[in-house]
Amino acid sequence: MNYFVKGNPDLCIGCRTCMIGCVVAHEGKHIFEVDPDSYTFAPRLHMVKTARLSVPVQCKQCENPACMAACAAGAIYQEDHRVLIREEKCIGCKACMDACPFGAIDLKIVTGMTQADGSEKKTANKCDVCHNIPGGPACVRVCPTQALRLVTEEELNDDAQKKRMEAARKASLALSAQNQDENRKV
Amino acid sequence: MALKQVQTTCAYCGAGCQILFTVDEDANKIVEAAPAMGRTNEGTLCLKGHYGWDYLNDPQILTKRLKNPMIRKGGKKSPLVEVSWEEAISYVAEKLTEIKEKYGPDSIMGTGSARGAGNEANYLMQKFMRACIGTNNVDHCARI
Amino acid sequence: MSMGIPEIEDADCLLCFGYNGADSHPIVARRIVRGKQKGMKIICVDPRVTETARISDIHMQLKGGSNLALVNAMAHVIWEEGLTDDAFIKEHTKGFDEFLKVIEKYTPEYAETISHVPAETIRKAARMYATGKPAMILYGMGVCQFSQAVDVVKGLANLALMTGNFGGPSMGIGPVRGQNNVQGACDMGALPNSYPGYQSVTDPQIQEKFEKAWGVPLSSEVGCPITHVPHRILHEKDEKKKIHAYYIFGEDPAQSDPDLAEVREALDKCDFVIMQDIYMNKTGLHADVILPASAWGENEGIYSSADRGFQRVRQAVKPAGNVKPDWQIIAEISTAMGYPMEYKNTEEIWNELIDLCPSFQGATYEKIEKFGGIQWPCRDKSMEDRGTPYLHKDGIFATKDHKALFYGTDWHPPVEMENDEYPMSLSTVREVGHYSVRTMTGNCRMLRNLEDEPGWVQMNPDDCKRLNLKKGELVKILSRRGYCITRCLPTERVKPGATYMTYQWWVGACNELTDSYLDPISNTPEYKYCACRVEKIEDQEWAERHVQELYADIKTRMGIDKGKGDRS
Repeated sequence: MNYFVKGNPDLCIGCRTCMIGCVVAHEGKHIFEVDPDSYTFAPRLHMVKTARLSVPVQCKQCENPACMAACAAGAIYQEDHRVLIREEKCIGCKACMDACPFGAIDLKIVTGMTQADGSEKKTANKCDVCHNIPGGPACVRVCPTQALRLVTEEELNDDAQKKRMEAARKASLALSAQNQDENRKV
Repeated sequence: MALKQVQTTCAYCGAGCQILFTVDEDANKIVEAAPAMGRTNEGTLCLKGHYGWDYLNDPQILTKRLKNPMIRKGGKKSPLVEVSWEEAISYVAEKLTEIKEKYGPDSIMGTGSARGAGNEANYLMQKFMRACIGTNNVDHCARI
Repeated sequence: MSMGIPEIEDADCLLCFGYNGADSHPIVARRIVRGKQKGMKIICVDPRVTETARISDIHMQLKGGSNLALVNAMAHVIWEEGLTDDAFIKEHTKGFDEFLKVIEKYTPEYAETISHVPAETIRKAARMYATGKPAMILYGMGVCQFSQAVDVVKGLANLALMTGNFGGPSMGIGPVRGQNNVQGACDMGALPNSYPGYQSVTDPQIQEKFEKAWGVPLSSEVGCPITHVPHRILHEKDEKKKIHAYYIFGEDPAQSDPDLAEVREALDKCDFVIMQDIYMNKTGLHADVILPASAWGENEGIYSSADRGFQRVRQAVKPAGNVKPDWQIIAEISTAMGYPMEYKNTEEIWNELIDLCPSFQGATYEKIEKFGGIQWPCRDKSMEDRGTPYLHKDGIFATKDHKALFYGTDWHPPVEMENDEYPMSLSTVREVGHYSVRTMTGNCRMLRNLEDEPGWVQMNPDDCKRLNLKKGELVKILSRRGYCITRCLPTERVKPGATYMTYQWWVGACNELTDSYLDPISNTPEYKYCACRVEKIEDQEWAERHVQELYADIKTRMGIDKGKGDRS
């Protein structure tokens, strides 16, 4: 199963530490030394704020990715429990952006890559669950309110198990309450 | 690369979070900031705590780090000229003494600083205004 | 703050009043979020839907400038419904009967007409606060930056007193101080009316103590508040009181103070302006002398956190350039003026000052190092006295008879209300990723890339529709005092007719618009309310270019050659 990062709006305070953490993890620490205009600041998750909701939104690493199906260049693939983009293959056609039901993909200018006519190379940009980055997803690590968590197959199963237990407990409580009522009536 | 770790208090709000800096001693540069287990922050930091330290190497993004004392020698609107510390200190001392003698101590106003300077510097500033200048005209941006 | 920051999450009920922790102190907001997870009830009073409002049980989205009407109405309900803690009132307070006379007319129905919060919501909130134990109040600049500020602080204290919410953990009232060491600057007596340790300059015994310690006669006259300075430079007739020299240390009034046009005029007309700072800033453009200091990260010393915690700051890197620590510069000037100050390090200064301040006397460097920090009061140097997590233990207050005083006042509206020419209201707020006037964070690469000029004006989508404005469009915003250009941010989190801007931008400088009316006691300006007008700019291409030109121009004046970052 693919892993994914999930935001919890009950804990999120909308501060966007996660967005910077994402850029630092993917660009590397040298960005603290260089001109801030010399690379693209392209976080792979975005803070969404509505009237009553604040939560970062990122790729759900779908099991049957619509983006992958839509990619004519074969640049999107699944590996190591995640959906990944091969930047060198991406032709910037935006079909994946169009196909993604969550708005989790955008376009970014690739630092240091130009095309034959000298123009900047643009590719699709999305969360890769910090592929090959030590310590796991940076957004999860830096969030001051623990509003983000990495969801793995094991965790998802544990969660489901807990929910089943809770459902069973509630059913049994309801049953015993019913029995008590009936006993009282007697 | 000789690395050392320094724990300090964050300078960006009154929460008083503890930060652990990893410092490259040879390059005299901070390499990384990590949250420390402070009383108030318990191993967490916000974006300013995590990423608010690289201003120290004078990146020249917004403004320039002040590196030498400067005086406008030709009066208001004239350019600032770099001078030695001796000249700057004696110039300030002379001008303040002159104004104090001419108009009295209450014609001089000083501020404390609610930002990076720290408590000891604030103590000295108010002591300077009160004991050396002779006025209680000292305040800071708590009001603003 | 009367309580400690860690105690927040253990309150049963939190009344969060004009305080937006998520933007001003994310790590304090974290405690509110944790409290919610533990079952804490939250009442949020804010004209915007803040992150705290979002997770609150009751959000009173009041009209800006109606704070005291709402606070008095809550007190009214608590009294009317018999929810007071009578034993606490009797034993630990004075003036309750006089206070009742003031709040008598503040029925929730009357307060509704002023605050636009439904009377029934006010009742529910009052009940929730009065029946929660312990109940805590946190407040911020949404209380303090009004011409009626101190009255509201006292109003909030009244609520805590009448419900007995003082004297234990996770209760009381907490002003969450904004800047990192604003608590420390107050602790150290950078105030016109008090010596270090909150000792009054008008108390002859205190004066004598400091005269003896410092070896010179001292003034018993309360000094000039910072917000009076422009007036004292421009309009004071008495030459002895007119400010002729202004020593500005680690502040940037030409960016942070209200009515910037007036501030610039004052700085230019002041005979002698000294600026001591780490970066060139807008005040530096008007200074006669600039003294370069070492910065946070390069300095040693102690800061005070918002909850009275003394903690160490340490040197991580050595300063580059010909700079000196702030304390050393001040000591050298003093010595040159004939009042010698000689200290080897910050600890020597600290030892001198704690012995002059009974509340700090026990907080030695040794203890601060050993325990990671000390919350004052800490009166004894023995290792056993580890400070005070919360104040007013067992309802004993720091007054002569140890009793707290109820203090009721009537609500009055903000000074400058909306009118035909300026039909909207403006309040200044905080940007989470930037600090203060942003000379530090604006030079941090990540923080600059997250948010940069010219900033945003938050407006209700209905107002945007009426003015035909889209998200991100550049707009002109004007008041009686000036104007600036910023970007439009439509958001349902603000009410129609209200606008909000953050104060650290140079191009989108909202303090060009704010007014300098002050609270009569605290002398804090009414940053949270003035009248403004938003205008559409038809030629957006011109506006984008214009903003870039303005930005590049200020950067050049700040010493940045290319108007851009260093490309090395």
